[in-house]
Amino acid sequence: MDVVLDIGISGVLMGLVYALLALGLTVIFGIMDTVNFAHGEFLMLGMYAGYLTYAYLYPEPLAGVPVAGLVGMLLGVLAYTLLVKRLLSGPPIAQIFGTFGLMLFLRYGALAVFGPNLRSATQGLVVAKRLVVGGLTLDAAKVVAAAGSAFLFGLVYLMLRRTKLGLALQATAANREAARYMGIDTDRMNLIGWALGGATAGMAGALLVNFYYVSPTVGMVFSMITFTTVALGGFGSVPGALIAGILVGLIEVFTAQVISPQLKLAVIYTVFFLVVLFRPRGLLGAR
Amino acid sequence: MLRVRRWIRTIAAVLGLIVFVGTLPSAAQETVKIGVILPLSGPLAPTGQELRRGYELMVDIVNNVYPELAALGLEVAGWNGIPSLGGAKIEPIFADSRGEPAVGADMARRLILEQGVVGLMGAYQSSVTQTVATVAERHGIPLVNSDSSSPTLTTLGYEWFWRVTPHDMIFDDDLFNLLDGLVEGKAPGVPAVPKDSIRRLAVVVENTEFGSATGNDIVNRLAPERGYEVVEYMRYQANSPDLTSETARLVNSGADVYLFASYVSDAILFMRTLALRGAKPTLIWGQNAGFTNPDFVQALGPALHGVLTRSLFIAKIGEVRPIAAAINELYRQRYGTNLSEESAREMLGVLAWAHALNNAGSTNPRALQRALNELDIPGDQLITPWQGIKFGSRRPGEKNQNIYATGMIGQYQYNPETGGVTLEIVYPFEAATADMVFPFPGWD
Repeated sequence: MDVVLDIGISGVLMGLVYALLALGLTVIFGIMDTVNFAHGEFLMLGMYAGYLTYAYLYPEPLAGVPVAGLVGMLLGVLAYTLLVKRLLSGPPIAQIFGTFGLMLFLRYGALAVFGPNLRSATQGLVVAKRLVVGGLTLDAAKVVAAAGSAFLFGLVYLMLRRTKLGLALQATAANREAARYMGIDTDRMNLIGWALGGATAGMAGALLVNFYYVSPTVGMVFSMITFTTVALGGFGSVPGALIAGILVGLIEVFTAQVISPQLKLAVIYTVFFLVVLFRPRGLLGAR
Repeated sequence: MLRVRRWIRTIAAVLGLIVFVGTLPSAAQETVKIGVILPLSGPLAPTGQELRRGYELMVDIVNNVYPELAALGLEVAGWNGIPSLGGAKIEPIFADSRGEPAVGADMARRLILEQGVVGLMGAYQSSVTQTVATVAERHGIPLVNSDSSSPTLTTLGYEWFWRVTPHDMIFDDDLFNLLDGLVEGKAPGVPAVPKDSIRRLAVVVENTEFGSATGNDIVNRLAPERGYEVVEYMRYQANSPDLTSETARLVNSGADVYLFASYVSDAILFMRTLALRGAKPTLIWGQNAGFTNPDFVQALGPALHGVLTRSLFIAKIGEVRPIAAAINELYRQRYGTNLSEESAREMLGVLAWAHALNNAGSTNPRALQRALNELDIPGDQLITPWQGIKFGSRRPGEKNQNIYATGMIGQYQYNPETGGVTLEIVYPFEAATADMVFPFPGWD
């Protein structure tokens, strides 16, 4: 029982982190039906922003979170205005290849600039610290990352539901043409979607720095899981990303515990495959 | 008639000239070309450059005179070229395999046919070395390998392939020699420990060729042979985003000794997660790879105190082998870093070639083959704590493997005074540079 609880809580914590990674991707897709293949690289650059802030400005990885949020937002804005906006006039396949190209550019650009080495934060408020709650030992850094994820989810959810901008974003997502006729600047909505997507990926990256290494290829480790999470939850669905993230986290830990660690990704992808087969719109997808 | 005679005279003159040149003393020979095939581009390019430095420095030592090394007893440092070939210099010709077996084989053919090399070295990745070896075999050109560790290579019956470096099974043997040595009280500074305190093993390997080769050798061969019990054999997903569950499983297995075959990212994540969980095995050992990576040391620092890793070369060996210290210093002056496992093993390969060429006194392939088969370099000429270099068989079906090659096992030790972490040698026991920290102190 203890093992189940122990593992279950780890699964939920990691699941919340996956959910945060999926948030930005699902927001962008929801608004403009574009899959950002470079999302893992946005995360990677967020990690570098967080790590470099820690290494050169202030020796606390948590201080890097707002910086990485800003860097991520800027990256989203640049990616949209310089690349994606131009691709929109082409066929849909151009968007796929475009963001795929961006992924390669960012990954190997980072390799050229930062070198292949792995860097890790070694000190900080929650780095390598234990949190003992009711006899259970938790990784403080993961608890903080999960809490950050839950907070950002709440914020984005409220923004989408309660603010005028959120309603405009939702209107754009629901029907772009109709939204434009109602006087919504849909191009601006796209831009905001990318800025939001970039900012959440960046902040997720900086939160990861507390317990994960940083390298130019780290985006690869997380991007498959992120895409699976988004598809499982339903492309474009914010609550769906949250639920799917937690589900993926739980499947991962319990497969490793009960079946075999080498099959954990295989089981995640099998669940994903079955969902796509029997419920193509995902768990909470609108379409 | 006159014309025919003139033709005969010309042919005779040409033939005479050929025979004359062929019988010229080897003094006229200026260089001996050795082809070196390495992954100089592609993902392994940084390693390839490191390997290349090892070749270049040792070639330089053989080709010139280094009095300070010669004074320490290093014979080749006083040679100024290959003595029996009239001081001929070794000329390494580097070729890029790009890490691909087919490219490696093609490079080997070109080196032999176009460059006329008398021998080959390389090619780092065992898969590339194997294709290069088949080309060497076909052309009857010796291939001396000092950097590939797949045990298979010396079991294929090749007549033109010799391996200086230990292979993976030897590295695994070293680990069990260390465990047995602990029980027998041979480990430096550690009184004999009861076998029951280290009997139960957890073998944790990534699910790749590298991981399963190590895992299977330990689980199927060594543990049963030496009387240890494998309580957990875990093959995990390499480059995992999270290893919490794997770690919980490991701790719950109740194993005394944790054995890892992981690259650096997973190695860091495992150690961090184990530390958070407060795991306290008796020993932790890593099969090189991630465990010797500088990024691993940077990420974990003092938390590594007591962790063991196998390595072919640890710079600390200089404390017990003056030749190693002097060569390491030379390397440092030239390249700014300590000799690494990669550069050290290539130096040993060049050394083997130099002695073989000198013993053969010729660059004729058959003479070189004989010289390599009969090679016997004493241990005092080496930068590793081996008994020497001598090719033969250590297990059934093996051929042309250096029978004296062993690895080293290092232990990370934290020095609170300097705040630094150093890798001290604890195996081979006679080359130990510090007392072993035993049992593993834990992370609390």
